[in-house]
Amino acid sequence: MSDGHEFYFLEDRVEAQAVDLRLLRRLLAYLRPHKALIALALLGLALGTACQLAGPYLIKVIIDRHITAGLFPGMPRWVAIYLLSLAGAMGFLYVQMLTVSVIGQRVILAIRREMFSRLERLPVSFFDRTPTGRLMTRLTSDVEALQELISSGLVSTVGDVTVLLGIAAILLFMNPALALVTFAVLPVLVLFVEVLKKFIREANREMRRKLARMNAFLQEHVSGVTVVKTFVQEGKSDARFETLNREYASESIRLTNYYSLYFPGVELFSSVAVALLLWRGGGQVISGAVTFGTLVAFLEYAQKFFNPIKDMSDKYNILQSALASCERIFHILDMEPAPEYGPARPAEREESGDAGPPEAVQVSVPGTPPAPRADSTEGDEPRPAIEFRDVWFSYDGPRGDARHGGEPVLRGVSFTILEGEMGAIVGATGAGKTTILSLLCRFYEISRGRILLFGRDIREYPGDELRRSLSLVLQDPFLFPGSIRENVAAGGPRVERALSAAGVAGIAGSWEEGLDTQVGERGGRLSVGQRQIVAFARALARDPRVLLLDEATSSVDPVTEHDIRKALLNILSGRTSLVVAHRLSTILSADRIIVLHKGKVRETGTHAELMEAGGIYRRLYLLQFDG
Amino acid sequence: MSSLFGLLIPWMTRDAIDGLFAPDGSERLARAVSWMLLFAALHGSFRYLSRRGLLVTARKVELALRRDVFAHVIRLPLSFFRATPTGDVMSRMTNDVSAVWLFLGPGVLTLVGTVISYLLALTFMLRISPLLTMVSLVLAPAVILLSREYGRRFHRLYRKVQEALAAMNATLQENISGIRLVKAYGLEEKEETRFAANCDGYYRQNVSVSKNSAVFHGAIGFLAGSGTALVLLLGGWLVIRGRLTLGGFVAFNAYLAMLSFPTMALGWVINLVQRGGSAMGRINEFMRLPVEPSLMKAQSSQAPEASLEDTPAPECAKEDAKEGRPALEFRDLSFAYGDGGRGGDVLRGITFSVNPGEVVGLVGQTGSGKSTLLSLVLRLGPVPAGAVFLEGRDVNSIPLAELRRSVSLVAQDPFLFSDTVLANICFGLPSGDAESARRAAGHARILAEIDEMPEGFRTVIGERGISLSGGQKQRATIARALCASPRVLLLDDALSSVDVETEREIFREILSLRGERTILFSTHRLASLSHCDRILVLSGGAIVEEGTHDELLSLRGTYFDLYSRQMLSMELEESS
Ligand SMILES: Nc1ncnc2c1ncn2[C@@H]1O[C@H](COP(=O)(O)OP(=O)(O)OP(=O)(O)O)[C@@H](O)[C@H]1O
Ligand SMILES: Nc1ncnc2c1ncn2[C@@H]1O[C@H](COP(=O)(O)OP(=O)(O)OP(=O)(O)O)[C@@H](O)[C@H]1O
Ligand SMILES: [Mg+2]
Ligand SMILES: [Mg+2]
Repeated sequence: MSDGHEFYFLEDRVEAQAVDLRLLRRLLAYLRPHKALIALALLGLALGTACQLAGPYLIKVIIDRHITAGLFPGMPRWVAIYLLSLAGAMGFLYVQMLTVSVIGQRVILAIRREMFSRLERLPVSFFDRTPTGRLMTRLTSDVEALQELISSGLVSTVGDVTVLLGIAAILLFMNPALALVTFAVLPVLVLFVEVLKKFIREANREMRRKLARMNAFLQEHVSGVTVVKTFVQEGKSDARFETLNREYASESIRLTNYYSLYFPGVELFSSVAVALLLWRGGGQVISGAVTFGTLVAFLEYAQKFFNPIKDMSDKYNILQSALASCERIFHILDMEPAPEYGPARPAEREESGDAGPPEAVQVSVPGTPPAPRADSTEGDEPRPAIEFRDVWFSYDGPRGDARHGGEPVLRGVSFTILEGEMGAIVGATGAGKTTILSLLCRFYEISRGRILLFGRDIREYPGDELRRSLSLVLQDPFLFPGSIRENVAAGGPRVERALSAAGVAGIAGSWEEGLDTQVGERGGRLSVGQRQIVAFARALARDPRVLLLDEATSSVDPVTEHDIRKALLNILSGRTSLVVAHRLSTILSADRIIVLHKGKVRETGTHAELMEAGGIYRRLYLLQFDG
Repeated sequence: MSSLFGLLIPWMTRDAIDGLFAPDGSERLARAVSWMLLFAALHGSFRYLSRRGLLVTARKVELALRRDVFAHVIRLPLSFFRATPTGDVMSRMTNDVSAVWLFLGPGVLTLVGTVISYLLALTFMLRISPLLTMVSLVLAPAVILLSREYGRRFHRLYRKVQEALAAMNATLQENISGIRLVKAYGLEEKEETRFAANCDGYYRQNVSVSKNSAVFHGAIGFLAGSGTALVLLLGGWLVIRGRLTLGGFVAFNAYLAMLSFPTMALGWVINLVQRGGSAMGRINEFMRLPVEPSLMKAQSSQAPEASLEDTPAPECAKEDAKEGRPALEFRDLSFAYGDGGRGGDVLRGITFSVNPGEVVGLVGQTGSGKSTLLSLVLRLGPVPAGAVFLEGRDVNSIPLAELRRSVSLVAQDPFLFSDTVLANICFGLPSGDAESARRAAGHARILAEIDEMPEGFRTVIGERGISLSGGQKQRATIARALCASPRVLLLDDALSSVDVETEREIFREILSLRGERTILFSTHRLASLSHCDRILVLSGGAIVEEGTHDELLSLRGTYFDLYSRQMLSMELEESS
């Protein structure tokens, strides 16, 4: 277990290279719809800044005209003007803060929704290898970082630059020589900020990575807490968590150190600037070269001058981390949606370029029309509903490439289920039964061969038509938190019939809340068999043309299963189904049983035929029923 | 300290400015400026040290807090996890802990800085001009009132923001973990609508926070500025009257300006405090919950909170308990899930015993309480006193760690960690042990498949074991249980996704140790019952029949029903 946690998180090292203009441009595209608001924000900003900048100047006027002159009358009027400018500054500040934040929130809203809808359409294999914790981080904290950038970054950076330029202009206008004195510290300051920034960025990135890792660990241990408890591993989990926690803390402490240095540093520079100013300016006041009021105004402006600099370099950090987040976000948005969401494509072309594996061409030569495709000639003859033709498939490796996976799971699988038939797949565990159903639903793309549904390549089905004609019960029954009724209704419109056929009514009938009973996360408040029954009902509610059952009743007792099967006969009459089961009693009545072994079809036929043949099936059967 | 030096800088400004008009102006100016530089340097370094000290301490507190929360939460009873959504637990252990850090670190830093600046600045200001100081403070009560009002408001608003965020995250999480379902049922658009509604809710809450905070910032800024205006007016008048030096006036203004930043920052601090406060409250809701007690017995002398691992096992009791007593005994056990509210007990008056080395099968309808019964042996739920005995001792009086080390449960719903196969199989051992892992994997009949994996035992399996087939997951969990070499093995329908042939082999392996290990297993595959010495039939939470296969068949009761459905249906097929 020593290095186990290293694997928690197959890291993604998407990194931001300084300020990436391409990224920014793309981000700006999201701001475009909010032009009016942005204009408003900028206006508020400009006016607010103007009012703010007027303050020190007004003070100068007051001092020079009244205080040093010893003239009180008329001063209250100037003070009133000062107050007015202040009110203006705050009013505009309000407008600007609010609009900016609204813009940020709206952009984020749009991005988050876009991400979600992209996420829903990514291939299943992506989810196989991406920890939930990491995806969650993408949609929450990365998006949040982006919002930070937009709300407190983009617009106010414009503001900061305006202030800086404005002050610089005023200073130069008031007294060029003194202005240059004020700017004297700038080069050193820039150097300081640049050096520190590099460290901060590095620490920031590292911290985020550690955080994501820690969160993935947390998430997994919360959902697997029963296992931790049954094996009394609380102590060990503590220790492993502590390692991750410490790694994160040491990273964050490093960052804290840099930040602790950062602000006092910038402040020191501003103090030095003031001192210099006082030194040079004071001398000039003595010599009478500048008025006293000018000096005071200079001092005030100098202070205001360093604030945006401090601010901007801070913003630059926000910008950096936001851009890193941004890249991760766009990374998701740029991912190709699974091909089934794209336009249907004629699959024949694909096929012809793809030579079948030499040893496995057993059913059809590519391009040759298959024998049972007799839809028009004989009206009575049932058409093939599900057809696998020499299907080869292998899962991606754990790192998303074929390098580590690659072992074919299906090797030239071919079979046909006719319309209205009940097909069954049996075979040892790990033989590839679930994989066949997943492929039929087009969760993964096959590497060779063809899969046809009602005589049409599944890749030719447009949009959601393929999945609308299928109804799948997963081996691992997944229920959404919510009531039983809600879960069944998620399947489709025929809720009532499904409830009674699957025997849900029989379970929930005696409960106080009946069908409104909450099932809990993943259905955790139901027994496993009950979960399967609800999942089954959900599939039936869909009223599908083809029903796919993957061990749908493996944890249901024989009596209940028998009842379900009887009820099914009515519902399924004339429909096609493909059933996977280890319990052979479930599939005895199948019209066609396919025996799969290590990714190859070994036997096909009805129960009687297979018993006759005396192969794998017969052995399984005897084991199960003769004890 | 740093604040002091920071505040001395304007003081020097005063000196310098006043010096401007004195005869020895340049000299005084030079002196003041060099002092200023010195103070600035000192200010900077002290500021660095104090920031660092405070922030690092806060980080350490965060570290400890997170550690304690995790250690506590993981020891809470299972009923807690059933009642609390994962997303909620997660958000308290992550977002809320971070909010506490923000409060303790930057929050306290700013707060302390603000208070010190206030006090020192006030001292200096009083020295310059008490009258002006009074005037500048006229508006202070308004600032305080305003802050309090907004503090309250933010508190409420943040709760709502948190809730909206939690709802959004919950939808997200459901969709990620149920992605196959979403796709298979074409629920993409429906879920998008739901998520969009969540996002909208979150958006609205955030905008309302923004509105409030914009108003607050504006108002505070205005109040602070008005103070300056008042000072300007009165101070100007005082200078004109000669009651205040010009330098004093400028320095006073500088102090006031220094105060305006902390005043503005006050809003931010109030935010942090409110957020940190409500976060700490949320964390404490968890910390207050009692952890799973190691010992439950009322008469037990040990403190019930004694931690899991440290409780010494009373060895003597164990030894004589082994002789002659049943390995497992249930005496009139009744149980109800407290939170369900579905009415009625899940288990009613369960009484039976299993002898050491015996293999007992458990059958019954779906929902009859098999899983519940098995989980109670491990005390995964509250067990009434005097109802469940392991080797003659009430499970409530056995330290939890000892109990769970002697008994291994293979749950019906296999859970694996996204870790290596080795780490998963050796989960119950103190450290990874390749030898025992291989042995256990061999017994569970998964060794060959592991060896075929790209990196063998070092292969990382996805979340919840996503890259394994259903049967492979189950066999991996069985290997994990065997690896812990328990005295009592509980298998809860643990082979439902395994084909009959493999199942038989696994049973053969497990039973090769027959006589040494007590086994209780539940199943829906009646053929599997041929492996056991005795069968218990559960119906509606009570044991209705008990005996060997033949005895039960002759009863023509529940077992007969189950059996005939599974077997006779086959015979019917056979004959047709
Ligand atoms: N998502 C995945 N990524 C990588 N490999 C996988 C994935 N899913 C399954 N496999 C591997 O593919 C093989 C076939 O798995 P599949 O789930 O199809 O078996 P199965 O016949 O359904 O078995 P069972 O009866 O145990 O459910 C197994 O060796 C399994 O480890
Ligand atoms: N966490 C829970 N909260 C409330 N009720 C529960 C909870 N878990 C299970 N139940 C209920 O308790 C009863 C017994 O459940 P249990 O899981 O013990 O059944 P089981 O015999 O194992 O069934 P199966 O054969 O389906 O696994 C069921 O009616 C179930 O709905
Ligand atoms: Mg499977
Ligand atoms: Mg169960």
